Amino acid sequence: MTEVAPTTQSWSRSRARSRAGLRWRDVRAALQGLGLLVLALLWLVPVLWMIDTAFKPTPEIFTLPPRWIPSRFTLEHVQEVIRDWPFLRWVMNSAIVAGGSTALSLVISVPAAYSFARLRWKGRNTLFLVFISSMLIPWQVNAVPLYFLMNSLGLLNTYAAVILPIAAMPIGVFLLRQFFVNIPGELEDAARIDGCSSLGVLVRIILPNSIPAFVALGLYMFIFSWNEFFWSLIALQRPDLLTLPIGLKALQGAHDIKYGILLAGAFLASLPVLMVFLIFRQRVIRGMTLTGGLKG
Amino acid sequence: MRPHLPKPIARLLRNRHTEGLLFVLPYAVIWALFLLWPMIYGFYISLFKWQPLLGSEFIGLKNYTNLLHDARFWNALKNTFWFAFLSMPLIIGIGLLFALFIRGMGKRRGAGFVEASFFWPYLLNVSIISIIWKWLFDPDFGLILYYLRRLGLEPPVFLNDPRWAIPAIAIATGWWLAGYRMVVFRAAIEDIPDTIFELAELDGANPLVRFFRILLPLLKPALLFALVLTAISSFRVLGQVLMMTDGGPGRASEVLALYLYRAGWQYLEMGRAAALGFVLFLIILVVTLLGFRFLGFESELGGR
Repeated sequence: MTEVAPTTQSWSRSRARSRAGLRWRDVRAALQGLGLLVLALLWLVPVLWMIDTAFKPTPEIFTLPPRWIPSRFTLEHVQEVIRDWPFLRWVMNSAIVAGGSTALSLVISVPAAYSFARLRWKGRNTLFLVFISSMLIPWQVNAVPLYFLMNSLGLLNTYAAVILPIAAMPIGVFLLRQFFVNIPGELEDAARIDGCSSLGVLVRIILPNSIPAFVALGLYMFIFSWNEFFWSLIALQRPDLLTLPIGLKALQGAHDIKYGILLAGAFLASLPVLMVFLIFRQRVIRGMTLTGGLKG
Repeated sequence: MRPHLPKPIARLLRNRHTEGLLFVLPYAVIWALFLLWPMIYGFYISLFKWQPLLGSEFIGLKNYTNLLHDARFWNALKNTFWFAFLSMPLIIGIGLLFALFIRGMGKRRGAGFVEASFFWPYLLNVSIISIIWKWLFDPDFGLILYYLRRLGLEPPVFLNDPRWAIPAIAIATGWWLAGYRMVVFRAAIEDIPDTIFELAELDGANPLVRFFRILLPLLKPALLFALVLTAISSFRVLGQVLMMTDGGPGRASEVLALYLYRAGWQYLEMGRAAALGFVLFLIILVVTLLGFRFLGFESELGGR
């Protein structure tokens, strides 16, 4: 390649841009954007179809070709779900389980993560590795023994039966440690010179500087426990204790192919998340990024 | 300023080794009680013919050796691997593709909407997505079969067809989880300097070559990490299967976790269920170790 070549190239490029090129580029970009918009809409079809079905008179649910725009809008399915099923109770149960797990997890993970990140003591790294390795233990291994353990503790069919094992997951310690390690040491040194104890450093320096990490972890834990299925199915069997996912399973068990009711239930169950998401969209997505590639 | 504490505790805290341990203690207690102990106890149970109503009898490793001759176990194992094999490329492939699309859109109008719409299924719980997709796959009135027929195809009845039940569940799972992967990949892509993209463009290589020669190697750590984590969650699959097919038709979609659930809570054979749990754990352990061998331990501790 000669030295002239790049210059020629950039010259021809800029000339092309000044003529038809600019417009062609715009057109291409617009087309790409439009294509993506269509794809995004297509991606929403399952959800749109859920809403459509949930508010359609039953005969119009079971017609071919599928009827996208119903002749009338009906609340009968939603009403039937709310009348026959303790739907609000399920929402409340889910909120208690998710809120409790998130809170407990934060409360016990913060000091542990702080100790692993900022204090020096014998056996620290070994213990941390042991905790981290236990991330691999799936619910399925522990389901049977946890069932007997909870039974002998008298905790079966209580919220604690679900909250405690979720809070025991090491992910919080892991994520918070990553965050705490990166808080600059100068702040801590200054506080130490002023006579701050380790607890003081944690409360005065680490906590105020870690709000984004708490939000991210909190969101992650909340979503995880809000959606937890396997263990809740086993530990919460009393009808008044069911969480949303398990309640929906009961709903499906009772109605089989009455899709109007089923999709009304699914729609109602997705409402809280939808609302939170619409309000905090950027925060939720960014929080997910912070928790990195980790999932349950 | 030093918070006021009772004297003996203050003395303990002055020793930095005990102090460090004390901070860990609350978590360590919960962890030991509800994570470590169940695992040990679970292994103990797996050595028994453990039936809550009939009494228990020590049988050593018989629960494990029995599995070797259990056709139902092998079927569940095959189904689990088949599901993982199908769902992983869907989740990761679509996630990566969407991440690239959205990077291409930059700050243009609509980018936020596109990202939100790709991501949001992830927030729905497993029962919701199962109900939605069971309805979409409905053999009589489902949208998917209707439109495939309109296209002149003769589609299978998906969830009711033994060969298509698992692929159908994998498709629904792909739709559900790809958005989460997308968000994680986006973060990895944003870490790549823009100049690399510009250089690649100036180089004039076609997009496919650019993708495979430049982007893919740069994203390799993030991809491998995603692969391991997706594999782990795929091997644990239960909710979708339970809700969409209940393991059917017949046992065509019965996966390991479902077999475990039934062994334990339908047939009340807790010993066998505990053994199944350990087999599942072993599989996940091997997959993870293999994955991290390629990754190096550092990336495991370094998050994404």
